Amino acid sequence: MIRKALFLFVAVCMAFAVQSVSADTVKIGLMGPMTGPWASEGQEMKQVLDLLAEDVNENGGLIGKKVEIIAQDDAGDPRQASLAANRLSTMDIVAVVGTYGSSITEATQNIYDESQIIQVANGSTAIRLTEKGLKYFFRTCPRDDEQGRVGAQTIKDLGFKKVAILHDNTSYAKGLADEAKALLEKDNISIVFYEALTPGERDYNAILTKMKSSKPDGVFFTGYYPEAGLLLRQKSEMGWNVPFIGGDATNHPDLVKIAGKKSAEGFYFLTAPLPKDLDTPEAKKFVADFQKKYEAPPNSIYAVLSGDGFRVIVEAIKSTKSTDPDKLADFLHKKLTDFPGLTGKISFNDKGDRIGEVYRVYRVDGEGNFVLQP
Amino acid sequence: MEEFFQQLTNGLAVGGIYALIALGYTMVYGVLKLINFAHGDLFTIGAYLGLTLLTSMSLMDSLGVFFGLLLLVLMVMGLVGLIGVLLDQIAYKPLRQSPRLSAVVSALGASIVFQNAVMLIYGARFQVYPQDILPRIVINIFGMPVPLIRIMILMASIFMMGALYFFIQRTKVGTAIRAAAEDQGAARLMGIDVNRVIMLVFLIGPALGGAAGLMVGLYYGQINFTMGWIYGLKAFTAAILGGIGNIPGAMVGGILLGVIEALGAAYISIAWKDAIAFFVLILILIFRPTGLLGERVAEKI
Amino acid sequence: MKEKRYIVYALFVVFLLTAPLYLNRYWLEVLNSVGLYAILGLSLNIIVGYGGMFHMGHAAFYAIGAYTTAIISTSYGVPVLWLMPLSGLTAGVFALVVARPIIHLRGDYLLIVTIGLVEIVRIALINNVFGITGGANGIFGIPRPTLFGYKIFKSHQFLYLIWGCVAVTVFFFYRLENSRFGRALVYLKEDEIAAEGSGVHTARYKLAAFVLGAFWAGMVGTLFAAKMTIISPESFSFWESVLYFMIVILGGSGNIAGVILGAFLVIGLPEFFRGLENYRLLMFGAAMIFMMIFRTQGILPPRQKVFDVSRFRKGGEPI
Repeated sequence: MIRKALFLFVAVCMAFAVQSVSADTVKIGLMGPMTGPWASEGQEMKQVLDLLAEDVNENGGLIGKKVEIIAQDDAGDPRQASLAANRLSTMDIVAVVGTYGSSITEATQNIYDESQIIQVANGSTAIRLTEKGLKYFFRTCPRDDEQGRVGAQTIKDLGFKKVAILHDNTSYAKGLADEAKALLEKDNISIVFYEALTPGERDYNAILTKMKSSKPDGVFFTGYYPEAGLLLRQKSEMGWNVPFIGGDATNHPDLVKIAGKKSAEGFYFLTAPLPKDLDTPEAKKFVADFQKKYEAPPNSIYAVLSGDGFRVIVEAIKSTKSTDPDKLADFLHKKLTDFPGLTGKISFNDKGDRIGEVYRVYRVDGEGNFVLQP
Repeated sequence: MEEFFQQLTNGLAVGGIYALIALGYTMVYGVLKLINFAHGDLFTIGAYLGLTLLTSMSLMDSLGVFFGLLLLVLMVMGLVGLIGVLLDQIAYKPLRQSPRLSAVVSALGASIVFQNAVMLIYGARFQVYPQDILPRIVINIFGMPVPLIRIMILMASIFMMGALYFFIQRTKVGTAIRAAAEDQGAARLMGIDVNRVIMLVFLIGPALGGAAGLMVGLYYGQINFTMGWIYGLKAFTAAILGGIGNIPGAMVGGILLGVIEALGAAYISIAWKDAIAFFVLILILIFRPTGLLGERVAEKI
Repeated sequence: MKEKRYIVYALFVVFLLTAPLYLNRYWLEVLNSVGLYAILGLSLNIIVGYGGMFHMGHAAFYAIGAYTTAIISTSYGVPVLWLMPLSGLTAGVFALVVARPIIHLRGDYLLIVTIGLVEIVRIALINNVFGITGGANGIFGIPRPTLFGYKIFKSHQFLYLIWGCVAVTVFFFYRLENSRFGRALVYLKEDEIAAEGSGVHTARYKLAAFVLGAFWAGMVGTLFAAKMTIISPESFSFWESVLYFMIVILGGSGNIAGVILGAFLVIGLPEFFRGLENYRLLMFGAAMIFMMIFRTQGILPPRQKVFDVSRFRKGGEPI
């Protein structure tokens, strides 16, 4: 009994404690998976935003105030994400960056919309997120249909006639696989294999054996880099030389580490351009600063995309000299054109989607480097 | 037909690992009737410790591949075993006299602690074992290419099971373990130090799990902090399938589970693979309620 | 002693009723989350706490309820709250079908079978079984509930709805605990063979407890679907079932107040640790172990039932 009373007492105290945050900073929220299976993504998102915020503060801050990043953990789970969103929306933030998974983002969209907080998602590529007409929702990552289109085009360019498609039953990978499948079938390219693996396992030999017997010219894997690395490695151990193509979730240096340089060589993937491949001074400075502060280059393209989310928010606040959500949303929708992002030029359409050709095709060379294909 | 045998070897390789982890589950269960949900995370710790020792001590260079590896396995087993003993002393020992499910919740708490501790120490990113420690030789069995390391893993788990079985059945200490598993009170009356038996069980069980973690690291190369949860669940399934508390049962259950998964993926559906495995498990338990090799326990009145 | 307990209960009710006055939206949402899990915990308590069955797959029934609500409300436009009995029924019937052959399994064997059950259900949902579950995307656009003509969408409105349901649940299960059915279950848990010998039809009672718990979890599924407006398979993983299990055992299995306290600890505690960022779950896990070590029976174990036997004696004289 005493424990329960104590517990409630603490609950009430903490509720008040939360509200007494200082008011003379511009607060920008970050919602990401800081724990759980996607923790490495969330933690790197935090690193990127901390770095960029420091940079803004050293250069005079924003409209006369300092920028403050408030990070909340969504653990990659819809229920916890909705709590994180409620928490952030009571903390007086102007805008929020995040989050990674599409269904996780979806669980929070209404909460931010009702609180009139600008949300810029960084890894949520499901098409429907921007089809709801939400005024304050944006995303720096392209949509699945765009990537599906580029993927299908790449497969056609490589001249494959029989294609195996493998996804991992996450909404992102499944969406991409479905898009690509529909487009390829329209062009009379036969899909000889279409299945889903279980992410998080180690041994995919059974799947590769089955896939091999369907004799594809090429394999399109739409899942994430840990599985892609294992697939490449186990494929070459089997002595099977089929070309693999991956989606943007395979864009991670750990892919090569897991697969080994020899097995990873010749792997193609689609992604927004890496900062190291952009000539813009912003991208160069970012890569250099990140390397300096964390002693390693940025790994995840989604973390870099969260950085772009932060940068467009900062740009909007600077240009409008206000933190009014309507003004900011209006600016992002209409006035922000060809903003020099860390992943190429950024503009948004009325739905909040990023406009323009974003995707590039990369190939892994014999040294494990990601080489931009012309 | 060739594909069938290929899938069979795929299943055996996965099953060998499951079996090794299941052995630890079953040993702890046999003596304490405790489902040690943290066992999967001890497996993870084994994989991470193995990586640290491997990269920091360069054993292979000074001792050669075979002896270097042997020493590495022993060190990992020893360290994980110690962690297992500590885990028991801290999280399970105070709960010996309380309802069984209390210890299960404590085990779940320990699982969360281990998982997050590994994340905080090593970072959330995937860690990768250095490649080409083991020679990548592929041998042909009946015209079928099988990587040598896969056979080695299966052999190693069968060897460990055999050693454990011999230890339990033929040595004096093993007899004490069996006595404690049968009836702790009576064992105590016979002059067996049950606490020491439990400590020993918590040394051996996690050590086997740690060895399995090291093998997974060496073979698949990629490890991360959440991997123990899936492997732990699979191993628990395997232990139950074979009849929990029974050492040959864990081995049979593990290998069977691996084979069911591979064949289910090959001939039914990859996406439904785990569901198929659980479905088969449920069917088996309906007809053999104590698993394949589990003893039928008469209810005591 | 008894009065002291009632004072705490009364304070707790007053706290909940007045919470919107001094708690912000975030803490109200935490309370809502706790409320949902409290009902789930109470429904599992019927199976684990009273029935003594090791059941770690409760999320399967919760998922079936939530998906029933989501599918029917989005495709036929039926008001969400009306679907509560139907969702419960679907979950209950499913439980009846699957539990019949497995109910006789002993402790840990039943445990793995129920884990298998929740995994099979989740895999089926992800693979878009029958083409109605929406696969990994789940189902979105579930309408908000309306009650007596009021649309419920604000946090404090949900607070009253959810905790109202908790109150109904507590009332119902309290009556159940003291009924013939409840006593039979407790007997069965304490000593199955003696219960069987005394004429309690154990298999039937166990099955009834299982189905009742599943029915209730299915109804909570409706509340969850209405609250989130989107549901997807990752909300119904095996780990969810583990959480309910921890709520029941940590709080005090077999005790209503204990289970509600358990929901506060298991769901509330990680929220308190938000400030610790990456250390959040580590602290939570450690807290679980420590609470379990110090209160080995759960924090509020059920009190020994004292049945008033005096009315069976002539004149009420002590023997």
